[in-house]
Amino acid sequence: MKKLMEISLGVVTSVGGFLEVGSMATAAQAGAMFGFQLIWAVVLGTICIIFLVEMSGRFAAVSHHTISDGIRERFGFNVFLWPLLAALLVNFLVLSAEIGGVAIALEFATGIGFQWWALPVALLAWLLLWKGTFGFIEKGVSILGLVTLCFVVGAVMLRPDWTAVARGAVPSLPVHDAANYWFMAVSILGASISPYLFMFYSSGAIEDRWDKSYLGANRAIAGLGMTFGGTISIGVLIVAALVLATHGVTQVDDYHQLPLMLIPIFGFWGFVLFVVSLAIACFGAALEVGLQQAYLVAQGFGWNWGEDRKPRDDPGFSATYTISLLLAAIPIALGLDPLRLTIFSMALTAASLPLTVVPFLFLLNDKRYVGEHRNGILSNAAVIFIIALGFVLAVVTIPLQIFGGT
Amino acid sequence: MKLLRDLLDKQVVDREQIKIGKVDGLVAELRPGKPPRIIAIELGSITLARRLGARPGRWMARLAVKLGGKQHGEPHRIAWHKVKDIGIDIEFDIHVRETSIFAWQDWLRDHVIGRIPGA
Repeated sequence: MKKLMEISLGVVTSVGGFLEVGSMATAAQAGAMFGFQLIWAVVLGTICIIFLVEMSGRFAAVSHHTISDGIRERFGFNVFLWPLLAALLVNFLVLSAEIGGVAIALEFATGIGFQWWALPVALLAWLLLWKGTFGFIEKGVSILGLVTLCFVVGAVMLRPDWTAVARGAVPSLPVHDAANYWFMAVSILGASISPYLFMFYSSGAIEDRWDKSYLGANRAIAGLGMTFGGTISIGVLIVAALVLATHGVTQVDDYHQLPLMLIPIFGFWGFVLFVVSLAIACFGAALEVGLQQAYLVAQGFGWNWGEDRKPRDDPGFSATYTISLLLAAIPIALGLDPLRLTIFSMALTAASLPLTVVPFLFLLNDKRYVGEHRNGILSNAAVIFIIALGFVLAVVTIPLQIFGGT
Repeated sequence: MKLLRDLLDKQVVDREQIKIGKVDGLVAELRPGKPPRIIAIELGSITLARRLGARPGRWMARLAVKLGGKQHGEPHRIAWHKVKDIGIDIEFDIHVRETSIFAWQDWLRDHVIGRIPGA
């Protein structure tokens, strides 16, 4: 019974981690421009992240190392430096985008420009990290995050042509705007396969003191939680395809177009639901990314870390998330368009994947860490596929950024 | 035991399981006619910078002296005979408070973090 509770909590938590400004914005853009045609990218990204999250949790539960600890120890400092720098940079952009997402939601709610909200949002996130415990943040983010289910409800209420939805789950070639189509596919993959997500998950497993008895729960949480998150993303895409496109919005290049999505379904409450969903999903992600920055640095250099300690007991750790949140708020406070930043950072995330995913191939096959719980053929095939995908994405992202970026 | 594989970059904890840092470097003694012997581990930013190359090492040492004074111009060392247990972490029979390894974290606590309410 206790395990069942933990699994359901874990599933709900992973939704909190999965759905953030990136997955919402990319799904909405894709739906508006290409209808159901890009659903396959969400499905593919979800399958990839299921594998990575499961491995990350299994590695932590069996070896009692986080992924960052493992990379540093197995490959040495000089190699570790590259994924460290890549993850810090990508997380910085993502964190900034999440703060931007909350700021936009607050702009919708109050009419006060988003740039004024960047610092207050960062301050509130910081306060929660400063005073809160890991369990408090985990449970808070997850329970409030359930509001995003309104997109799934909305999608079902719109009575989409389910055979067309199913057809979208199979990759197909674009009939128009080819560069934009592929750029969007890359952004969706980047939004789904976020390094912060699978690295944060292994830190969480250590914070929650997982051991081998959690392997089953880990599998269930990774599979169900990410599927749940992916379903909500598909919900966003379906709603965008049916609502935005029929209202003449085929290219979402301004975030002011987004709240329109739920209004035809729920009326005024649709506006409220959209604003609340955006705010909560992005705020939860901002907490996780901010915390992940501190985990990454503290674990990489071997300092004391843990969200349950008092800040004075791990000054290096708490200083890192403080500085991360402050720095990430600056671009938004200066008025950088959050939507453009989001799309850009999702594409960059995709390009950075090889650096953070290649180590999985070694760590999860090393008996000294995972013993008999090594990767099977299927998991290894998945990792190799994600690495190959990452390389292709890294090569195509940069030209697409120039030609296909909105 | 393979030294580089099994020791380097592992987590170091003190007697009270406080995380001190990672095994950033190993100090070996060369003995004529006998295999070399590990006499200490090194940790800290200077050792890490040296691993990237001689020049970054010199820069980091100069920076450390500038920020922390002369006593921070050399990497921190822990004698190998103090080692107590090698498991997931490597435990040394020392007390981190008696070393200068946490000098910068202490400074950070006393001057910045500790002054913010709720710390």
